[in-house]
Amino acid sequence: MGKIVFAAAMSHVLDPDYYQAACGLSGRRKVEACMAEIEKLGDSFLARRPDALIVVADDHLNAFSFNAVPAMCVRIGRYVTRMTQDEAEAFDKVLDGMPERYALHEELANRILEDGVGAGFDLALSWEAPIDHAFLSPVMTMHGTRSVTPLVPIWINCFVAPQPTPGRCFALGRHISRVVAKSPWDVGIIATGGLSHFPELLLPRVGESDVVFDRKLLRWLTEGEHEPLQSLTPGELHKAGEHEFLNWMVLIGAVTPARADVRYFGELGRINLAAVEWRVG
Amino acid sequence: MSRYEVNSLLYRLKKDRTFRARFNADPKGALDGLDLTDAERAAFLARDMRRINALGGYLHLVMSVPGMAAHVTHAEPE
Repeated sequence: MGKIVFAAAMSHVLDPDYYQAACGLSGRRKVEACMAEIEKLGDSFLARRPDALIVVADDHLNAFSFNAVPAMCVRIGRYVTRMTQDEAEAFDKVLDGMPERYALHEELANRILEDGVGAGFDLALSWEAPIDHAFLSPVMTMHGTRSVTPLVPIWINCFVAPQPTPGRCFALGRHISRVVAKSPWDVGIIATGGLSHFPELLLPRVGESDVVFDRKLLRWLTEGEHEPLQSLTPGELHKAGEHEFLNWMVLIGAVTPARADVRYFGELGRINLAAVEWRVG
Repeated sequence: MSRYEVNSLLYRLKKDRTFRARFNADPKGALDGLDLTDAERAAFLARDMRRINALGGYLHLVMSVPGMAAHVTHAEPE
């Protein structure tokens, strides 16, 4: 019988140069502190000798285009490549030094997809979509120079309205939990993005993350209070700059009722950085 | 405002190197035939990403078009 042996959520723009340019030297120091905690999470994850790592993250119109924007999508196949971008800017650029190809855990991805569709989740699938910084910055920070665990990338549409509801994301997490429990594998799961931020140009509210909302979320997570999370509305998440918390909701559904420990929380004015681990395994 | 036209243009500028080069060499010509409002067209010609964002440009595209990406520096909280 398989189990979820590790669960963590974390910010996914992990680039000290970017934060130094945007937020000054203390921006660099804070993201480096956050990355140091994510590296420790990677040590903890790999010590459990996992068979697979599910990564729940959002696309930034890198993998998908206006041709189609899936609400929830499972990447299947044997391998996934990193997104490439000519003359990359900002956080696209951090991908440049990373390996080009990553193994997938094909069978786990197929079970999540096929059993999910069978259970009423109309999941999209992709054989070809590449993964961007939302997946690879956390994964590579966790693994460092070690071999990367076979991945199961899952995209949640966090930014292009209409997004899936927090409750539906939680339900997908419950489905993932059931699939893992029926499998023979020890599985880690991470959710990436956040916490509160209004990416710099979003009007009318430039910058100014919602610290109060973040602290409320973190308190619920540490206390294992998952009912109020499921009642959050897309409008509340949008207003608080918590769009990417939808990724976290999938993870929370997968590990509920586990409580979380906050490994890092740092305010940068424009975004609050976080690294959180759940007590599983 | 044509949210689709604005964002599909941003997407082409980000992903299509040939189109991006054409836009950089002849911005007015590159926009010919696109279904943009006067305000949208003016914002692209001015390479004013904040204005494009205000007109419905998707923020992650606005932030990542090579050579045009807009970034704002924010002060640290006290």
